[in-house]
Amino acid sequence: MHILIIEDEEKTASFLRKGLTESGYVVDTSGNGDEGLLLALDIDYDLIILDVMLPGRDGWSILETLRRAGRKMPVLFLTARDMVHDRVKGLELGADDYLIKPFAFSELLARVRLLLRRTPQRHNETLQVADLEIEFARQRASRGGSRLDLTSKEFALLSLLARREGEVLSRTLIAEQIWDINFDSDTNVIDVAIRRLRSKVDDPFKKKLIHTVRGVGYVFEDR
Amino acid sequence: MLIFASGFLYWVLIATLEKEDEEFLNSRIEVLDRILRTGSKEALENEIDLENVGFTNSQYHTYSRILDESGRTLYEAPGMDREIPSAVFPSAGRSKGKTKRWLSASNKTYQLIAAQAGSDDAGGSTWQIQVALDETNEEILMNQYERYLAAVLLIGILASAAMGAVIARRGMKPLVDIAKTAERVTASQLHERIGAAEWPRELVSLARAFDGMLDRLEDSFDRLSRFSADLAHELRTPINNLRGEAEVALSKPREEQEYREILASSLEEYERLSRMMDSLLFLARAESAQAMLARSRIDVRTEITKVINFYEALAAERKVPVTCAGDGVMDADPILFQRVISNLLSNSLRYTPSGGKIVFSIQDVDNGVEVTCCDSGTGIAQEHLSRIFDRFYQISPSRNPKTDDAGLGLAIVKSIVNLHGGRIGIKSALGEGTSVQVFFPA
Repeated sequence: MHILIIEDEEKTASFLRKGLTESGYVVDTSGNGDEGLLLALDIDYDLIILDVMLPGRDGWSILETLRRAGRKMPVLFLTARDMVHDRVKGLELGADDYLIKPFAFSELLARVRLLLRRTPQRHNETLQVADLEIEFARQRASRGGSRLDLTSKEFALLSLLARREGEVLSRTLIAEQIWDINFDSDTNVIDVAIRRLRSKVDDPFKKKLIHTVRGVGYVFEDR
Repeated sequence: MLIFASGFLYWVLIATLEKEDEEFLNSRIEVLDRILRTGSKEALENEIDLENVGFTNSQYHTYSRILDESGRTLYEAPGMDREIPSAVFPSAGRSKGKTKRWLSASNKTYQLIAAQAGSDDAGGSTWQIQVALDETNEEILMNQYERYLAAVLLIGILASAAMGAVIARRGMKPLVDIAKTAERVTASQLHERIGAAEWPRELVSLARAFDGMLDRLEDSFDRLSRFSADLAHELRTPINNLRGEAEVALSKPREEQEYREILASSLEEYERLSRMMDSLLFLARAESAQAMLARSRIDVRTEITKVINFYEALAAERKVPVTCAGDGVMDADPILFQRVISNLLSNSLRYTPSGGKIVFSIQDVDNGVEVTCCDSGTGIAQEHLSRIFDRFYQISPSRNPKTDDAGLGLAIVKSIVNLHGGRIGIKSALGEGTSVQVFFPA
């Protein structure tokens, strides 16, 4: 997967390149609007990450030119301006998503994955990680053959983590996905919910599957 | 006004005098007529000769003349032919005649009157009586009066103009004082007050309104400067931590695990900063009314239950049951409404010890819905209540690091309620609990 980052702020461009490269993507960067546009027209990228404010040519103009040239690759906007009309304008021009600075890298990674995931999410009937088995349709989970007694919310939380195995999920994303809470809320809530889930899924067993990534969120992984 | 009044008085005086003179002349004619009818020439001459005797000092100085039918003078007051020739009299009428003013050669003013007199039966002899009244004195008096009047009028006008100016200046003095005070008021001198006590009644309400405005301005400025100070403090602490940690980390080579710890701790600080910024941006936008409300019809109970479910795990861990009672439907932005409930609940959970409880009650009231969040927590002291909705306001000065809303939670609640055109109120008693009441118009 080939990604182009057009971003003039060097530190941002640098950590994005580093993070995305380490996540297995091939990354090019450009710090100038005109140069970035030429690159984008020249090479068939799978995704473009675009800053709005750029020297030379701004993000809107690059996006417009690309779409007029018939390029349909997904575009993710980065903006420091949290203005409603900015979002609307970006989406109208054909941007696929936007992120407001400051953003968590895990958030960006999640969105990049989503945009690049041409095939639909895994919707297997069952999922097996280590000795944990989840039967989605029957809303059942068991470890080492013994059934886990989970509430429906706990089951949903476990399912979310397990389906996105290896992906660090932020508390915001978890609140959004499980409780449909779409605003900044008390982060304690997620911590407590995870703690209660762990007490049933991990605590009685030697092998831990739910891990805390300090300062970022939680990840489900067979380490 | 003054001119009109004086003019009127003058006119009345003149009219009265003239009427009096006319009556006097008419009465003279009547007297002479009566004497003529008696036919006593002697009595007539006597009357005419003596008409001014005893009156010499009076203004009524009259001269009479009797003419026969052909206009010949039968008798006249001595010297009258030189002074007032008979031709200058108005023509005589049968009844009381009109008078005429006339200026003689000797510069005296006379009021003249003439009348027919004599027997009423045909064939009887008739006479013409002419009577002149010397009005020179009266004229002089009137002239004098006119001059006095003009002088008084002039002085009066000047005096009243001057007095008007003085009164106006004195009347304006409070306004000038108010203006002076207003000039003294600057952002740093907002404590200046006009003081309602010393003003005339008409200005008291103005002074009060002015002071009220200053009160509100001072309050806003206080809040704003406190807010800036708090903001600086809130930013300084995490930035100081980050800087110190990084500096210490770089001061010597360390184990990989140590670096991880430091970076993770930084991440936590960053996240706190990001959240704070988001909240501040939200407040700023809500205040400048830029925020767009995505209103829709919501079932209040459903939304509250959703938020309660979200907090279920936390509430269960704290052993504080959360319940909701009542029903209501209204137009509101569902996400913002959830945020209100979430912030209230989060706050209540923080200050309610285990074993307590939190109750949301929904009440359909006139033209709106009232939601009350009532907890059995530690309560808030009275002195904090007025500022509890201020940004960054936290009751205990030692900040609780566990909370991550940095004292913005209730400020956000208030701004959301305001955005919807609602009201918010808080009641609390130490040791008994707190209840926050929000009203949303339907």
